[in-house]
Amino acid sequence: MNKFFLTLLLSISSFVLYAQPKGYQPVNNLSAFQQSLTKSNAAVQTIMSDFVQTKNLSLLADKIKSKGKFYFKKENKVRIEYTTPYTYLLVMNGGQLMVKDEEKTSKINTRSSKTMQSVNRIIIDCMQGTVFHNTDFKVAAYENSQSYLLSLEPATDAMRKMFKKIDVYMNKKDFDVHKLTMTEQGGDFTDMDFINTQHNVALNENLFKIK
Amino acid sequence: MRTYLKLSSLLLLLFAACASPYKHLHFHEDKSQTALQYKPVYEKQVYRCVVDGKILFKKFHLSGILFFKTMEDKSTRVIFQNEMGFTYFDFKWNGQDSFKVIQIIDQMNKPALVKTLEKDLSIFLLKDLNKPTEKIAVNDGDTFYRFTLSKGYVYYIAHSGKLETIDNTGKGGKVTTITLTGKDTPKGLPDSALFTHHKAHFTIQIKKIQSHVDE
Repeated sequence: MNKFFLTLLLSISSFVLYAQPKGYQPVNNLSAFQQSLTKSNAAVQTIMSDFVQTKNLSLLADKIKSKGKFYFKKENKVRIEYTTPYTYLLVMNGGQLMVKDEEKTSKINTRSSKTMQSVNRIIIDCMQGTVFHNTDFKVAAYENSQSYLLSLEPATDAMRKMFKKIDVYMNKKDFDVHKLTMTEQGGDFTDMDFINTQHNVALNENLFKIK
Repeated sequence: MRTYLKLSSLLLLLFAACASPYKHLHFHEDKSQTALQYKPVYEKQVYRCVVDGKILFKKFHLSGILFFKTMEDKSTRVIFQNEMGFTYFDFKWNGQDSFKVIQIIDQMNKPALVKTLEKDLSIFLLKDLNKPTEKIAVNDGDTFYRFTLSKGYVYYIAHSGKLETIDNTGKGGKVTTITLTGKDTPKGLPDSALFTHHKAHFTIQIKKIQSHVDE
């Protein structure tokens, strides 16, 4: 029995040692945190933000940076518009997804693809802070004096192939997502830093039109 | 008789189209010059990359970023990722041009496709060329450098001392043509390149992206 407890203790210690992000502590009162997050998100109808995306190629010790605009409108409309150094547009509206690069526009019905649905949902969940209800991921919540950190570990094979984990960083003051870090299985990771975020500004429906 | 003649003409045309496009050239050894003068030397370069093609009646289209880097150990890495940072493939050639797949998504992990991409990128970067097989021909101001591959040939075609076209040919004629634009110095990477696969019916278009890191 003692051996059992020792093994259990060691397992928990290892988990805490390796899983806890540096500079963060587990959120003490998880249900209170979830309630505050839900309340804060209920008041947000739209989000408009600039973003800087940095792909970190870890083995190559190199970075690829791009910039753009992010728009979100409840319940499920997202527009991610890359403007520099290339133009690329991704619009999600309900079950439809549109991708437009410099040469072509492609429309995808995400209802026909479970993976696309999952990707669609995780982007919306990350921005809305509704990740606790997403069954594709196991979620752990951490905090420090300035930020909350939701660490998402894939729970399905499809998501595991795409991500090792996704970290969502939120301002403690207003629950604004200010950073997303998507880590691939190989160790490369992509940071998306959100700046100049505005809530509840009127967003034209045309921004989310799939055409 | 008229039908027979038509058919013969068609077959002749078809045969002519399939035959080696450079059969009429006289290739000879010339140790004083080599296509390897055009082998690119670079630290890193990022390209916008668009792939368009057709499998049976279904068209496909893929876009992303193609990243070339020479590592300190002289190995080369070529990484293709989508605009959102998700990696499609990560290829490596060591200092001796031996190829290895570091990472590839399941959807692209097909032997024929990997082989095609490896060959495309190898001949684009003038890697793993069998130097002793190099032969040269000159025609109309163009210099043709030919290397023998395990199957077919690869031709590097320079006009006025500038490498402009790379042709990979097989038994049935051209397999792949790479058209280079803006390769302004012999050792530089081109500003853009168009890979046309004549048999596999797909194209890869790459265009240099200048600023991609911290400004």
